[in-house]
Amino acid sequence: MARTVPRPEMTLAEKAYVPEIVKGLKVTMGHFLRGLFTPETLPVQSYPETPSVIPRNYRAKHRLMKRPDGEPRCVACMMCSTACPANCITIQAGESADDRIEKKPVKFEIDLLVCVFCGLCAEACPVDAIRMDTRIVALAADSREKFKVGLKDLMSWEPKDYPDNDTQSQKAPGGLLNAEAKKQWGIS
Amino acid sequence: MSNSYHMPVLPKPDGKKVTINVDGRDVEVPEGTNLVEALKTIGIATPHFCYHPDLPVAGNCRQCMVETDGPRGMGLAIACYTPVRAGMKVATDHSSEKVKTARKAVMEFQLANHPLDCPICDKAGECSLQDNYMSAGGQTSRMREGIGKQYKGSPENRHQDSKGQDRGGKHLDLGPTVILDQERCILCDRCVRFMRDVAGSEQLYIAGRGDHAFLSTFPGSELSHEYDLNVTDVCPVGALTGKHFRFHQRVWNLVSTQTIDPTDSLGANITVDHYDGQAWRIMPRRNPDVNKSWIHNDTRLAYQKLSENRLAAGLFGKNEIPLSQATSRLGELVRGARKLALVASGHLTLEDNAAILALAQFLGSRAEVFGGSWLPVGKPDNIARSGDPVPNRLGQKLLGIADNLDELVRRAKEFDVLVVVGHDLWKIAPSKAKALEAIPERIVLSAWHDDSVAKATLSVGIRSWAEVRGTMVNCQGRVQMMQAAPILPSPDLEPAWQILSSAGRLGWTSELDAFRFAQGRIPALAGLTYRNIGPMGRILEGVVA
Repeated sequence: MARTVPRPEMTLAEKAYVPEIVKGLKVTMGHFLRGLFTPETLPVQSYPETPSVIPRNYRAKHRLMKRPDGEPRCVACMMCSTACPANCITIQAGESADDRIEKKPVKFEIDLLVCVFCGLCAEACPVDAIRMDTRIVALAADSREKFKVGLKDLMSWEPKDYPDNDTQSQKAPGGLLNAEAKKQWGIS
Repeated sequence: MSNSYHMPVLPKPDGKKVTINVDGRDVEVPEGTNLVEALKTIGIATPHFCYHPDLPVAGNCRQCMVETDGPRGMGLAIACYTPVRAGMKVATDHSSEKVKTARKAVMEFQLANHPLDCPICDKAGECSLQDNYMSAGGQTSRMREGIGKQYKGSPENRHQDSKGQDRGGKHLDLGPTVILDQERCILCDRCVRFMRDVAGSEQLYIAGRGDHAFLSTFPGSELSHEYDLNVTDVCPVGALTGKHFRFHQRVWNLVSTQTIDPTDSLGANITVDHYDGQAWRIMPRRNPDVNKSWIHNDTRLAYQKLSENRLAAGLFGKNEIPLSQATSRLGELVRGARKLALVASGHLTLEDNAAILALAQFLGSRAEVFGGSWLPVGKPDNIARSGDPVPNRLGQKLLGIADNLDELVRRAKEFDVLVVVGHDLWKIAPSKAKALEAIPERIVLSAWHDDSVAKATLSVGIRSWAEVRGTMVNCQGRVQMMQAAPILPSPDLEPAWQILSSAGRLGWTSELDAFRFAQGRIPALAGLTYRNIGPMGRILEGVVA
């Protein structure tokens, strides 16, 4: 049902038009002069001269976490591809060289053009293997095929780009070179 | 573990009924059955691990507890080994707190040493332990992390016996087909009972006692039997997994299409599980009158051939041509033939064979139909195979197609066109089939690039057994339905009946036209429709004495 919204009553000064125009010009000129003499106080970024600041929890391009020996932390359980509403994750599982891990992905492909960046894959992952904290938001390529990123692409990230205090992001249990895991499993 | 168990009494459709009282209500259940089966008939599911309707009852998992009345009042009893008795009182978890707590406690014990492998376990999604945890367990763990669990993957648990064989641990190679994970095993001993009582070859046993018990093969031997992959089906958890399916696909993605075994004339009931246009596995479908719950390993692995070496187009000599062109060329050759030999196949459905007969009828005296098979008939193994590798041999016979391939070989010179439909004559008997090369035009309709296609002058790709809807008659005289799984390697492929129908301008638009033609030839099929054949098939009256 339609609802009638009453118009605000205007005062005489507002009805006269000119004083309101002067008021508006005052605001505009204020910003203009501020930008002219003290541009650093303006609440805007000079993109692209200064890169935009993207928070760490922004859902950007995915990355796959690594074990200390460089293998993916992913165990190819396919929870992410099951949770994915866009059906953009393709995983093929294989045997891991590490006895205690059993399963690893031999193919892990995300079609970034199909991805809706909802973050459900990172949410579903039982081993914190997939994250969306790369802060890479400008994706560009010259063919559709290049938007399908595989294991190599997803795992080519530098630890120095990520905070040091996030222990999970740097080391994970398992992997043939992990001293902590070896201690836990009692092998030297 | 005891060595002699009793087979469960299963409800019969026309059996006697007795009245028992379940949760305060009087209900009628089949006489003589155990409580699991009796409660199932009235729609109450009882959680269980070790009970299986086609295996002897062991009663060792204690998950199916219900309360029954005895001389000392209501008390807990296992439903799988308690027979129904007229007037007995039963309380299930719907009315009894005691049953609920008992099941929950059993569940806690089952999970005490069970690893949290669900993400990497192939059984996840169809696991009894997961299902029963959701229905009967649901408790939070009282275990402290790292304490209480025996991690059997660690080196100290990976022990070898005196013959140097791996006997403990995770992903143990049990034999050519099966991998064992001892940590996931809940010792229900279904696999032991399957191998002993169904396969008739005791190859697995439970060694050790109490908390240290583990499933193993006998020292120095491996699990190797032509039915051994059934242990992966009966395994309620992911302890036994088949190498053919290990890590290939998560089961919750799979969609099942009901069909029947294409490799044997018993026609074991199976499902083809597919996802994303590909068949990933074959599972048995329970039919108590045909194959119970079992299928042969060859049947189970038949899905692997569905995507291999397929003929997805037409072949003119050695040149690939589009299917439509091959089909129209087939029609020209068939209609222009002076004397045509049509070879029917027991590997195809009644519908496809009906199309062959209808085509012969259309061509009149110019065409002759030959049938039967050169494949030898073996002995039944009394599990899920009759020994006859031609699935629809009886159906072909009922349609009136004689077993006269040898006659065709003898009279080969009389014909100028040969049409072989879904029958790899050159593979089965190359020496006999060689005489057929005297026929100038050899047309082969086949789903695969097989030996007959190599000898043909024109080949047309058709749909394989998993991709067609139709019927077959098994060696018991049971007509059974096959449903089509959406796994075509090429969308243009058509079933054989459709290609033959267009060659003979029969004007058939669906399988039903072909089925109606078959009904005209087989009086026993009268009154049957695809719907009332049903998933379990129908015995044709008077077909098998």
